[in-house]
Amino acid sequence: MTQAAFSPADKDRWIKSACKMCLHGCGIRVNVRDGVILKIEGDPDNPNNMGKLCPKGHSGIMRHYDPNRIKTPIRRTNPNRGPGVDPGWEPVSWDEALDIVGRRLKKIRREDPRKLLVAINDFQRIHLWGWGAAFGTGHYFTTTGQFCGAAYHPINGIIDGAFASVNDYEHCNYWIQIGGGDGFSSHLHVAGSIKRMADARVDRGMKLVAVDPRMAAYCAKADEWIPILPGTDRAFILGMVHVMLHELNRYDAQFIKKHTNGPYLIAPGGRLFRCRETQKPMVWDGGDNMAKAYDDPTVGDFALEGRFVVDGAEVTPAFQLIKDALKDHTPERMSGICDVPAGTMRRIALEFVEAARIGSTVMIEGKQYPYRPAAINFYRGAIGHCQGTHDHSAIKLMNMLVGNIDVPGGHLGVGLDHRLLLIEPGPDGMIKPQPHILHPPAPFSCPPQTLQMMEFFPIGLDPAHLVAHNILHPEEWGYDFKPEAALIYHANPLKNINGYHKVLEVFRMLEFIVAIDILPNESTEWADIILPDHSYLESYMMTLCEPPVITGHTLRQPVVEPMYDTRDAHDILTDISHGCGCLDEFNGLLNFTMFLKPEYYLEPGRKHTAQECLDRMAKSIYGPEMGLDWFRQNSNAVRRQKPGEMYMPWDGMRISLYHEYFLQVAGELEEKFRSAGRQWDTSSYHPIPVWNDDHPLHRIPAEYDLYAINFKAEAVINHHENTTIPWINELVSNIPIHKGVLINTRTAREKGISTGDRISIESPFGKVEGLARVIEEIHPRVIGISNAIARWTMHPVERKMNVNFNRLLPASLEFTDLVSGHQETAVKVRISKI
Amino acid sequence: MARFGMVVDLKRCVGCNACTLACKAENGTPPGIFFTKVLEQLAGQYPIVKKKFIPVLCNHCLNAPCVRVCPSGATRKRDDGMVLVDYDQCIGCKACAVACPYKNRELLPQGKLRQGHFKGHLTPFEKVKYSKFQEGVVIKCTFCCDRVDQGLEPSCVNTCPAEARVFGDLHNPESKVSRLIRQRGGFQPMSEANTDPSVYYLE
Repeated sequence: MTQAAFSPADKDRWIKSACKMCLHGCGIRVNVRDGVILKIEGDPDNPNNMGKLCPKGHSGIMRHYDPNRIKTPIRRTNPNRGPGVDPGWEPVSWDEALDIVGRRLKKIRREDPRKLLVAINDFQRIHLWGWGAAFGTGHYFTTTGQFCGAAYHPINGIIDGAFASVNDYEHCNYWIQIGGGDGFSSHLHVAGSIKRMADARVDRGMKLVAVDPRMAAYCAKADEWIPILPGTDRAFILGMVHVMLHELNRYDAQFIKKHTNGPYLIAPGGRLFRCRETQKPMVWDGGDNMAKAYDDPTVGDFALEGRFVVDGAEVTPAFQLIKDALKDHTPERMSGICDVPAGTMRRIALEFVEAARIGSTVMIEGKQYPYRPAAINFYRGAIGHCQGTHDHSAIKLMNMLVGNIDVPGGHLGVGLDHRLLLIEPGPDGMIKPQPHILHPPAPFSCPPQTLQMMEFFPIGLDPAHLVAHNILHPEEWGYDFKPEAALIYHANPLKNINGYHKVLEVFRMLEFIVAIDILPNESTEWADIILPDHSYLESYMMTLCEPPVITGHTLRQPVVEPMYDTRDAHDILTDISHGCGCLDEFNGLLNFTMFLKPEYYLEPGRKHTAQECLDRMAKSIYGPEMGLDWFRQNSNAVRRQKPGEMYMPWDGMRISLYHEYFLQVAGELEEKFRSAGRQWDTSSYHPIPVWNDDHPLHRIPAEYDLYAINFKAEAVINHHENTTIPWINELVSNIPIHKGVLINTRTAREKGISTGDRISIESPFGKVEGLARVIEEIHPRVIGISNAIARWTMHPVERKMNVNFNRLLPASLEFTDLVSGHQETAVKVRISKI
Repeated sequence: MARFGMVVDLKRCVGCNACTLACKAENGTPPGIFFTKVLEQLAGQYPIVKKKFIPVLCNHCLNAPCVRVCPSGATRKRDDGMVLVDYDQCIGCKACAVACPYKNRELLPQGKLRQGHFKGHLTPFEKVKYSKFQEGVVIKCTFCCDRVDQGLEPSCVNTCPAEARVFGDLHNPESKVSRLIRQRGGFQPMSEANTDPSVYYLE
């Protein structure tokens, strides 16, 4: 294998690589002249982003050349830590730094590995996220799922083996978007998605309806913006579902009969009604007027409606139960919850079913598919709530009712990586639910072993916002250990986990913190030792994360030699594993997380370089001819997904319309808690999404009269971290919505607040201050806080406006979706002029 | 002779600012200076609100006031329509900046190039890029003339994820820019200023 060689003869070169200014990794080409990086552009030969690049991608130069980068291992000399306290960094050799870390972690590992907190958030290197498991600790001390994806990914996986989902850019004609930036500002390879969306909107005249409390970019570009109260999107959706089922009586009955469990008969209690002999689920054949097994070839008509008596039991098709459950979800009632007029719900529901062209088909590459060019797309804004599973299920339900799941024009599953949708046959003629695409489930244990209580969330994603509370109150669930150290790698738990004061207290407790990163941040400013990583322009990675439309890895490779005495974070973790005695376990983990075939397995006891591992990964996925050398030559293996990969890859299996699976999981969980002598609320495991008036967010006392939301700062910022890049900093300083706390004109007038006033924002959980920014384009009962004004790191470029939204949020089980682990990401506040 | 121009499709633009930073990277403009940016225009009252994203840059006007008023002859128009500033001749009087109805020119103040984006530390990138600038002169968008002379599109056009920006020859009736202007009713910004901009907008 050849090393990247930078001969001085190459004075002016363009090198292909992959971006890492967000998690998705567009193809880039980088101009290097006399060793200096002068430009980053989108790679025109990469079918993913087609030569396009977002503003973050361009600004990578200024992160790479940030003089505040960590240039050599450093350790603190100031024993006092705290926000804004200078650590007094001093350089230390790699040998000494790794020795200190190795000895410290080895001791912890010997005593009780659970005493180490792990926060790994290098989002493109998902294969390293599980390092803690190799060490022997399962704690996840950084926000990943619970802010954006906990109620998103597992539900996608349960429906169609997907990790994410997005509407079909190329065929959709009527696109409803709720609380998400797809095609405009964020999520799923934004540069390529903006082009695909612009083509759909402008070239094909696709209609776009945008639902959001704030006029985000996608709302500004939409044909219609529907402002809504935070955390009520489900009410809006279910009001429309009511219209479809009870007023218009329009839905895709054929799709529901053939491709979902809608016709399965449900016994009293909600579980499937099974044949006594065969245990197969039963359906009602409307032709022969009798119950039959779901796979009986003689079934002439799968009844969706009606009530039947079979073997003395009163049974009902799942579809009928859904219809019954939503009978009282009238637009009028839902309107009172979400503040969208009932007439708007009726109109949008009608437009949606008409645009869906139920019954129509389309030929694609010689195969006929249903054609349903209307779909609802959504993301964190819609489902990032403490009943997020229901929120997500409601949107999927409305999509499924027009038969648009994974068909041309409709709502398409998006895989996590090259495996695309994970389609396996499950029981009862159904597709196998895949809630665990990121990592295997944690077996039930009470007391739990992980501080985020993963053991209690059998189909959820790590609710890291529970970690700090459980550390501070170990007696509540019987934790018998106390964390004393943390490893933080490209993560920022102090900034990104809500319940700031609890997290701060944990930081004060920790005796030792080791960090791996390229720049210090709010959290790693507390570290004892920071081990410097290469920048993404100095390192290797096989990049592919949540690709819509396309599939195939793009190689990230060094475009210049490392500027400083840095090492690849993967190699640093290998060294740390060696030092603390878990190298074999780490190698074993990588065999699994890097998809290595047995012939490429890493050898026990041997330190493999990151490059070597990536070479083995490439060969395992693409064959022996396509190792790292092939990718160095060819840059990427990206291609369009084939129609059969994108459309109905589960054909022949049924998808879940009625989530009986939830009841099954809940039943098992209840049984385990009973055995453990503890109680756990499983009422959220409900097979039908309904509105629940007992919603913790909306139950916050009325004296907190406004809702508060935060937002991702459009295409400019990934999470919050780009605000230390001067170009981004300058840019957001010129954009009104990033200049302060957004308040509607009417509300501001009522409260005597003007733009520029210093205001206090107080929730039941915390208080922040900020400058008011009075605007028209936000719901009068909502204030909005951009991620561009949320930081306090000592980095000299940061504006330090420090309206840290997370300080306003709760961090408790009460505000957690007990199915998915999603936390509540909106809150109610009261504001006043200071 | 070609007359280079740009068409900005306001329907396609999503205000992502990829152009703003692609320009920043291509031209290496000093702190606080953008040759192109995306303005936001808001109209109406909640809930009937319209928000527009409007990318702006030097319009490279045919009848350019900046060329007319320049006392030193530093601001000149190339035969292909690009309006450029010769830094060696510019005396920094700012007459052009005042004359420009679009406010798309500004003086590069003394000290700016030494300061850099990281306040007192010039990155290797900035050292290369700043060598092309001079303090005390007026600077602005060049339509990426170096790129265009090599047959490339301006950097903002090259990157635009929405393909909202199109560059080409306004004199060629078959060019994409001419066709878009014709078919979609392209209009020039502030036509009342009578400057005949080479930048057109589509709504």
